Amino acid sequence: MKSTKYIRVLRELFSLRMHGLMVFRLDFFAPFLVDGSLFVIQLLAFGAVYSHVDRIGSWGKGEMILYIGTFSLLNALSMTICFFGVNSIPYKVRSGELDLYLSKPISPLFRLTFENISPGSLPLVIMSVCIIGYGAATARTALTPKTLGAYVFWVAVMGILYYEMEVLMRSVSLYIVSMARMEQLEEACINLCMKLPGIAFHGIYKVIFYCILPYGIMATLPVQSMIGEMNWRTAACGMGVVILFSGITATVWRRGLRHYNSASS
Amino acid sequence: MKTQLVWRADVAFNMIFTVTKILFACLLWGMVFQNRETVGQFTFHGMLSYYIVSSFLSQLDMSEGISREIHDKIRNGTFSKYMVIPVGIEKYFMAMELGVLSFYVFFDFAAAVVWVFVFRIRFVFAAHPGTVLCAAAMAVLGLVFMVQLNYFLGLLTLKYQGMNTFLMIKNNLAALVTGSILPLALFPETVVRLLRLLPFYYVTYLPAMLFTGKCGDEAVGGLLVLGGWMLFMQFLIGAVWKKYRVKYEGVGI
Repeated sequence: MKSTKYIRVLRELFSLRMHGLMVFRLDFFAPFLVDGSLFVIQLLAFGAVYSHVDRIGSWGKGEMILYIGTFSLLNALSMTICFFGVNSIPYKVRSGELDLYLSKPISPLFRLTFENISPGSLPLVIMSVCIIGYGAATARTALTPKTLGAYVFWVAVMGILYYEMEVLMRSVSLYIVSMARMEQLEEACINLCMKLPGIAFHGIYKVIFYCILPYGIMATLPVQSMIGEMNWRTAACGMGVVILFSGITATVWRRGLRHYNSASS
Repeated sequence: MKTQLVWRADVAFNMIFTVTKILFACLLWGMVFQNRETVGQFTFHGMLSYYIVSSFLSQLDMSEGISREIHDKIRNGTFSKYMVIPVGIEKYFMAMELGVLSFYVFFDFAAAVVWVFVFRIRFVFAAHPGTVLCAAAMAVLGLVFMVQLNYFLGLLTLKYQGMNTFLMIKNNLAALVTGSILPLALFPETVVRLLRLLPFYYVTYLPAMLFTGKCGDEAVGGLLVLGGWMLFMQFLIGAVWKKYRVKYEGVGI
């Protein structure tokens, strides 16, 4: 019964969003063009690096293309489904607009997550899948149902982690006035980890980018599961990090809402 | 300068976040150089020195905000405030950029020095004073060119109304073609030859190479090419301003 209500709300939010997007048709594909260019540039840059070296660590050119494609896919899924909604949280907190979400008979986070779905980012998903296909062919990965299933599973799990990090970073706005530092931190981490696979991290950097700001594992684990580099220990650690961050995000968000003082916060 | 002093946390975090570029270079090239002495014309420490200088130079270029500011002001109709002041608008933005830059140059330089020590980089620096002078001159001209470019792109809002998407794509492309992501020397020779015709080659990449003692033979030619591009850009700015300023209504788009 409850899920039917949420599906109806989701359908309505999507319909409203489409009405809004159709008013500014030129901006419709903006996320695809901006982020698409970013990942094409990554491909060109690593193409140049691999014209001088055969392998970076244990990864050849194919594995790196897979990595770039996977990060692009995670980013594309987020852009399509939830980014523009979640990204507006700090603004809504500052302006007091969050009141409108709290007074509705539906989870405020559900509505914030799905109210700004961006169908214009869908080509980015398709482009990412093409990059992944190209990467798998270059790496000569044997695509069996088992490896594909494992890859899809890890992309789904890491997609959740990506979403949780977005919510967690923006939930801080419920406690503090300026969000500029958190946004800068998130941007810096994503910029670094979209170019650098998790296998490059060691020592203290591994602790930071695997456990504290886990952007380093987001695209690395799906790729490792596809190319057969993943062992049980890595898988358990990955799941542990996702469960830990699910708990942290839920706690920070719930406590943040209690901390929220309407327009004065 | 006064405006910059108000936002002290911004300055501190800008300095701290320069570390991501150096960290990227250290980790990526650290892995690559595990099994080899050189890549292209770079040794490991030569490569890291390049990233230190290019990161410092690209950090100094804050002209991106100019195009965004002009874009927003034209869109919401407040660009009039620049039209009524009794100075050239381009000169106003140049002066603004100079104020910001003269504040940040010290902190960014300090950050670069700190990263050299933190990451234990054996910094490679050009030995010839003439090359250093050319590199410094090119870096300054490069910054002026970027101001011109961003001013020009901002003015295009008078004609095209919505430039935000284009500006973001431009920023992505600029990071590649200025050599901020990786040295342009790693691209195939044909691509490098093509890039030499564009001004971006001389904004960050060539000054960084000159400062680290490479490409000395390109220094004088580079200054001339960049100077030529600056003249061309100035001509474009004049033409666009003359043609499209009459389209501005001052009531927002």
